[in-house]
Amino acid sequence: MILNQFLILGAFLFSLGMYGVLVRRNAVLVLLSVELMLAAVNINLVAFDAYLRDAIAGGQIFALFVITVAAAEVGIGLAIVLLIFRNRQSANVDEMDLMKL
Amino acid sequence: MGDWLSEVANWWFAAVALAMGYAAYRVVTSANVVHAVLALVATLGGSAVLFLLLGAEFVVWTVVLVYIGAVIVLFLFGIMITRAPLGYEAELDHPPKTKALAAIVAGAMFLLIGWTLVDAFGTEEVTASVTTVGDIGLQLFGRFVLPFEVVSLVLLAALIGGIVLARQDPVDIEDQR
Amino acid sequence: MSALFDYHALAPELILAFTVMAVLAVDLMPVPKYYAAVTGLVGLFASIIPLLTLALCSELSFCSDNGARLLFGDSYVVDTFSLVLKGLFLVSAFISLLLAVGYVESDRYYQGEYYFLLLASVFGAVVMASSRDLISIFVGLELVSGPAFLLAGWRKGDARSNEAALKFFIVGVLSAAILLFGMSLIYGVTGELTFSGIRAATVGGELPAVFTLGVLFVLMGFAFKVSAVPFHFWTPDTYEGAPTPVTAYLSVGSKAAGFVGLLVICYSAFANMRDIWGPALWIIAVASMTLGNLIAVRQTNVIRLLGYSSIAQGGFMLAPFAVASMVEGVELEGALFATVTYLLFYAFMNLGAFGVVMAGMSKVKSAELSSWSGMAQYAPGLSMLVVIFFFALAGVPPLAGWFAKLVMFQAIISGAPNVWAVLLGVIAAVNAVVAFFYYAKVVKTVWMDSVPVEIPAAELGGSGLNPALALALGITAIATIVTGLFPGVLSFFGEATRTFASGF
Repeated sequence: MILNQFLILGAFLFSLGMYGVLVRRNAVLVLLSVELMLAAVNINLVAFDAYLRDAIAGGQIFALFVITVAAAEVGIGLAIVLLIFRNRQSANVDEMDLMKL
Repeated sequence: MGDWLSEVANWWFAAVALAMGYAAYRVVTSANVVHAVLALVATLGGSAVLFLLLGAEFVVWTVVLVYIGAVIVLFLFGIMITRAPLGYEAELDHPPKTKALAAIVAGAMFLLIGWTLVDAFGTEEVTASVTTVGDIGLQLFGRFVLPFEVVSLVLLAALIGGIVLARQDPVDIEDQR
Repeated sequence: MSALFDYHALAPELILAFTVMAVLAVDLMPVPKYYAAVTGLVGLFASIIPLLTLALCSELSFCSDNGARLLFGDSYVVDTFSLVLKGLFLVSAFISLLLAVGYVESDRYYQGEYYFLLLASVFGAVVMASSRDLISIFVGLELVSGPAFLLAGWRKGDARSNEAALKFFIVGVLSAAILLFGMSLIYGVTGELTFSGIRAATVGGELPAVFTLGVLFVLMGFAFKVSAVPFHFWTPDTYEGAPTPVTAYLSVGSKAAGFVGLLVICYSAFANMRDIWGPALWIIAVASMTLGNLIAVRQTNVIRLLGYSSIAQGGFMLAPFAVASMVEGVELEGALFATVTYLLFYAFMNLGAFGVVMAGMSKVKSAELSSWSGMAQYAPGLSMLVVIFFFALAGVPPLAGWFAKLVMFQAIISGAPNVWAVLLGVIAAVNAVVAFFYYAKVVKTVWMDSVPVEIPAAELGGSGLNPALALALGITAIATIVTGLFPGVLSFFGEATRTFASGF
């Protein structure tokens, strides 16, 4: 296995996630795209960890923290979406136009 | 190239990577919210296989249990509770003009990152280095104990704040009657 | 040492963590809700005490050692720099909590949880000030922003507050993902997580382009947090929609946390990459101050005006970073000193300004500038505070802001022969004048204009300030006046952090 096969896949997922964030209007789908970007980060971290033969397994532990924080973020995000849905009956990001830019 | 093909792990990688690439593409393009979530499950499952190839066993099971087990269920619950449209819907994306622009941005970013990665790491080899749960645990509760404690507070804050925001206030219910 | 950890060094964090839990527990007890706030205030005060004993360690008999304390394999460092910034976070949290007490009591808000989330966010900022590795600083940053997303949506029934929370959240998670991708690249190239390790791995030697990309991604991630142009678009909407005391916290506490992350990571981890982040931050600083000020001029809502002005102020704080790529030695220390000092002065002025806005809104029920006109006729005291804080933000001597602007310009001039430093100085000077214009506009409206006809003046005189808000206004007003007359009071703390830049 060469390192770059993992890293390029990671870069591909990250770019796709960025595309999703820019393209999606629905808040839940934007959040899904961000999860895709975080998955790319995890692939990078674990691949680098194996490549570097890190004695303290820094990359793997970093990946664990990323997963945990992502879980917390999903919880927060869905709570906000739920709140908005109750008030507006919609979860689309750009229907939020009460305030001008 | 012949060496690369002779390695069994690479065949696994190629199969999983292709599946992941397609699933990830579905995540950002699917016109159906539930399909997009299921595609994310497939992508994350694929990443778990990659971690297995790299010998990161604990991360594999964390991804399967926390991500696929908990986060995805949370997503699906969120979609169902908000009674989001479960069928196909054209309203999910921005108009095609924005899409083209976004595709150019994302494509340029991929080329930039990919080029710098090839430039930096070329064809460096990587082999699986098996890390046991014990190794991870020792590090997590020694060198990394402070962020470990801090992240527990992140989860607690998300839990409590999430409940407060998401719950229907008793008074609101009275208002509706 | 017999103990496993250096508990003295960790004492502020431990007391604060205990306070966070205690607030939750008190909220469950059958006592008045404001007890939870009092618990929080006492806890914040108590966690400042070990900061003092740590700072004065060499003077005290019971204190065993001295200088920077390195914990957890160099990933957590308690030095003068981190002590000063922790002090800033705790004091601004104290004032933010005071601002919030009356506000959350006045309506059906979840009070105990509000104080809990505010303190949890402050805890994250305190951890960030000492973090010296990628994992701790990331986790600290998430603890700062996670509760902040939730607090922005605390006015649950108000669609604008919901929108503020959603915008803030989406930008926040996106910036976190970008930051993490950059961190993963940096980890891959250097093989290190600690800042000291990254710094050592980047001495001399040719670094691949992917490392530069990693640095830029990390900068982008932090630029979102400090709402620097072009990553600022969420700021005005979130500031306007969020409950006002939350906005006050966001514009000071959470923004300062972003700046501290930027300071630590740039001056410590990327100490050898100044030729990368210097120019990048030059562009961001110029864009922030110019665009922030130009849009602020047009605003008719006081909170949006303060939102854009805080973007511009952020540009002033970033300006010394830009100069850091051009200078060495003492001048480099001066650049760090300028940013820290600016942050210290800005915290009091801006918290005070938001306090005034809250007091004004409780009188006229609106943050539109037009409804504030002629306020001096029925609320002369409040109008005096408007003068103090808005002129301080504009940098009018003898109020606090002038000194912050002075050190900022000194830092820029230290790179003087360089054409970019001169250009930056000129742009900053023009911006300072533009900023004066719109701050003065608020003061003029309040003092010179007549009371709008649709509101009978008799109705406006009523309701006095609640005691907590009055106390917060008193503290910030006195701090703004005293530090303006004797800037040494605060710049002493800025001076103490200077060595952080020279350590490497």
